[in-house]
Parts: sequence; C-alpha cells; structure tokens
Amino acid sequence: MTATTLLVRPLSELDLDGIVRIVEKTRNRYEPDLWEDRVTYYLRRDPETSVVAESAGEVVGFMLGDVRSGEFGLEDPTGWIEVLGVDPTHAGGGIGRALAEAMLESFRSRGVRRVRTMVDESMPEVEAFFRKLGFAPDSLRPFVMHLP
Amino acid sequence: MATTTTTELPKRYHDAVERWRQTYLPDFDYLIENWDRYFPRDPRFRLCAYRECGMPCAIECGEDQGRPKHRSAAAMKPEVAHQLLAQIRAQASTEFGSIQQHQLTLARAHDEEEQAMVLRMMAEELRHGYQMLHLLVEDDWSAVAGASADQMIEEILSMRTGSHVLGAFNIDFESFVDNVVFCALIDRVGKYQLSMQKISSYSPMAESMPQMLREEAFHLATGVVPLRRWVVKAAQGSPLVTLAVIQKHLYKWVPRALEMFGDERGGATNVKWGLKPMKNQEAQDQYWREIEKVVRDLNMRYLRARLTHLDLAGAEAALAKLETEGGAIEGVRAEDLLRLPDREFFRRRGVPAFRMVGVDGERFEEVEAFLNHLVRVLPDGYRATADFRDYVESLRAVARGDRSPEEAQKQMPALRRVGGVCPCSKSVRWVAEEAVESPTSGAAR
Repeated sequence: MTATTLLVRPLSELDLDGIVRIVEKTRNRYEPDLWEDRVTYYLRRDPETSVVAESAGEVVGFMLGDVRSGEFGLEDPTGWIEVLGVDPTHAGGGIGRALAEAMLESFRSRGVRRVRTMVDESMPEVEAFFRKLGFAPDSLRPFVMHLP
Repeated sequence: MATTTTTELPKRYHDAVERWRQTYLPDFDYLIENWDRYFPRDPRFRLCAYRECGMPCAIECGEDQGRPKHRSAAAMKPEVAHQLLAQIRAQASTEFGSIQQHQLTLARAHDEEEQAMVLRMMAEELRHGYQMLHLLVEDDWSAVAGASADQMIEEILSMRTGSHVLGAFNIDFESFVDNVVFCALIDRVGKYQLSMQKISSYSPMAESMPQMLREEAFHLATGVVPLRRWVVKAAQGSPLVTLAVIQKHLYKWVPRALEMFGDERGGATNVKWGLKPMKNQEAQDQYWREIEKVVRDLNMRYLRARLTHLDLAGAEAALAKLETEGGAIEGVRAEDLLRLPDREFFRRRGVPAFRMVGVDGERFEEVEAFLNHLVRVLPDGYRATADFRDYVESLRAVARGDRSPEEAQKQMPALRRVGGVCPCSKSVRWVAEEAVESPTSGAAR
C-alpha cells in the first residue's frame, strides 16, 4: 500500500463494521454492541475530530477522541486521544501517523493547546508511536483500585 | 482557527418557531429536563443559527469559479437567486416536516435510549429549520420571492404532512420502524444535500452547513445503530421485530429517498451557478452505493447473530456465498437477508416515474397486477395512507392515458401551490404582529 491510496476522513456511522473488524483482528474480540455505543458517543459529541483511514474503500485504521475540559483539574480544553486501531494487514504503512496528524490538526483548529492520551506499559510499541509524534510523559498519573 | 458564531432570529420570528415547537414537538421540555441523563456532558441544545467562520471566499465550481462568493441575494443573477431561494424553502420544509412525522410515532419506541436519540434528533431538526429561516430573514429576497419574510415564514411553518415540498415528508409514520428507517435513509439524503450546499456560491448558505452537518452525523447513527440492534434481535427470534418488517420499510422509503435528489437528468444549473458541486444523477449514484453498504452491514450483523460460531473470515465467506449463489447456509436463506429494491421501483418522480417495476426489477404490464405486488411488498399500514391513495390514483390515470407521467408528477401537493401561501395558514398565524402573552395563543389548531 502506498501513502497516496490512503484517505483520512472524519468518522461516520458507516465505519462501524470496519472498526469492529479491526478490533476483532487485533484483539480477537467481536464486540459490535460496544463499538456501536462508542461510535454513537463520538458522533454526537464531536463528529469531526475522530477519524478513520480508508484504503481501496476499506477502513484500515481509526482514531477516536474528543475535546473536553474541567476533568482532573484540567480547566483548559484538552484534546484526548482515546482509541487507536490499525488493521494488522496494513501495519507499518504510516496509517497511525496519518490518523494522528489529522486528529492533531482538528484539535489545533479548535484552539486546543494540550493533547493527552494514556498508554499501557505492557504496550511499548504504542508508547513508541506516541513518543515519535512528540508526546512525553506527564505528571498526571492514573490511579486504580479494585472494588471487592 | 475555525470558529462559529451564533445568532437568534428577531424576536417575533424566534417566538413563532417556539410556538410551532410547542405544537409539534411537545416532548421538547422532557428532552431538556433529561438531557444530562441521556447525553451526559454533551453541550446543551440551543435554538439558534450557527455560522461557520473561515469558509472559502471564492466560488468553488461552475461558470464563476474563482470569483468572490455572493453575500446577498441582490448580488446574484435573478435566476440564480430564485433557484437558491427554492432550495432554502425546500430545506426548511424538510426540517420542520420531519418533526411532524417523527412526533406521530415517537411514543411507540420499545427502547428508551432509542427514543431519546430520536427526540434529540427532532430538536436538532428544529434548529436546522430555524437556520434556514435565518437565511430568509437576514437577506432581502423580495425581488425574487414575491413575498415578504413574514409571508415566507408563515408559509413554511404552516406546512403539514401532505403539503411539504418533497414527497418523503408527506408520508405519515405508522410505527417506530418508520422513525428509525427514515433516519437511516432520508436523513442520509439530507447529509448529501448539506454537503453539497456547503460549497454554495451564496456565502450565508455555505456558512450555515458545517454545524448542520455535525448534527446530521448523529442523526444517521440514530437510524443505523438501532437497525443494527434490531437485526440481532430478529436473528435471536424476538417477536418484536423481524427482517420482513424492516424489509418492507426499506421498500417504502428507498424510492422516496432517491427522488429527493431531483430528476436524474437535472442539476446542471446548480453546478453551473456554483450552488452545488454535483448533478442529481451523480449524487444519487453515490447515495446508492452508501445504502448498499448499510444493507450489507446489516446482513453481516444478522448473519453473525444467527451463526455465532463463525469467525470473521467464516462470516464474510458465508455472506458472500449467499449473495452470489443464493441458497441457504445452516438454515439462513439468501431470501431472509435484507436487500434494496430496484432503483426504478415505486417511483413517482424522475426518469422512472410511474413505470411499473417491481422490487426485483420485474416489469408489469397490468396496473392491477402491479398494485397487488405493491400491496404485498409494502408495509400493511402504508396502504391506508393518503400518500398511497394519491399514488394509486395517479398511476391508474397514467395507465389509462388520461395523464402523462410528467403531468402526474405535477400532482404533488407542493407543486400545486408554488408561489402561494398554504391554504391551511388561513386558520393559523405563527408570526404574531406583536409579542404574545400566552405562548400558545398564536397556534390555533
């Protein structure tokens, strides 16, 4: 696949099957209900920020996120990148970067000056991806507790 | 940086829309009171007109491509302004018209979440109608309209199901299936129209589109996501919904959706004058490919719910086999799956108007045989509607040779009263001369 065949565009409800398919390939989980809820959430809040990558008419990657403020003491509008998925058969084709650049541009156009995401330590390749984009560790740290 | 400005209509017009809302969208207050419950953290709904800043200043297609866009109707050629005005009126009519339709069956939803989604969508359609009224009010259209802003707004707010500009908005809903299928199919045409109007050579129109398009994205999900869940319920044997019911509603609405693009031979002047970037046929073709995908995705969702042991590759192979070879796989028959009707089926506008073509493209010679076919494939309740009655009368007249298909097309309600005020407005005054004490006093019913 070449970069010229890749189209990055805003998310639409038509991308649901493509997203479900990518998640099934990468995580071996078929979860259409979950993704119907999530895609509806992003479409109703901010349909232009979340993006998909399309090649030859197929969804080959997606990145979901939105702009929020007032959370965790972050008063300024913050762009949140929350989900990233790339079809493994298209891995290494620059799809993740293309998605991120489109989403960062969307954040920029809306006056956002800080973009945040969270990366699991067990996924070093994802951390490397975000570091290459210019992300760096932040003082904001996730805490968790398990309820009995 | 792209920014958006907001404005309200002058008070008398704003109040007129509020009065209309109290009549045709009585659940609006419930929506606002329960907004955080259904849509936590989403920005609150506001009845206003949005205008996008930073849009292209030069005309984007047609004979004046590259020249500055028009900022007023007076700056346009009269024939262009006339066509644009018709588009604004039609757009406004669809926005208000769909609310009247959705309201009929909103209470019949089985699922509270799906009902809330449709209710929010209705509120946003109200805002879209408001946006179009804003275009009519803020400019001087008197030279091409032959009517004042008061008269134009009165006319639009006075339209009811049966007198709207486009056929799809003159059909009464019978069940909540209509609400959902309408969102998936008819709102999708709306998305195309808004997308095309986003390049309009009339700047105020172009600047009105981005926010409407953002909201329309959710409206399409309001149709597609419930449909995806319904086909799963059907696969699991739920008595509440079947694929056969959904199929009949596809047959009901697809022909009306195709007609919303206008006659397949038309649209050249829209491109020439920079009002839209595509002719009717081209836009309709793109739409067709999109709804083909909607139906295929629904079939995949259904198949995987029926044959839960299949993995992704297995399900894709099974669906492809059913589509190409027919037959059955583990009890799932090809004819169980959803399908689109032939593009010439049940048309009353455009090139195939009043041709007797069945859902699979079969041709009928006898009117009664074709009507029997329609009765078999369309929803039972639809047969009792005025819309179907009008179609049957027109079809028979065409078959007898009493009318040509072109003449029959002109029997549509809106075309009977182009340029005039809707007769029913004689008993309804939405635009009051002065501020009204009681918010409902101007809405005699």
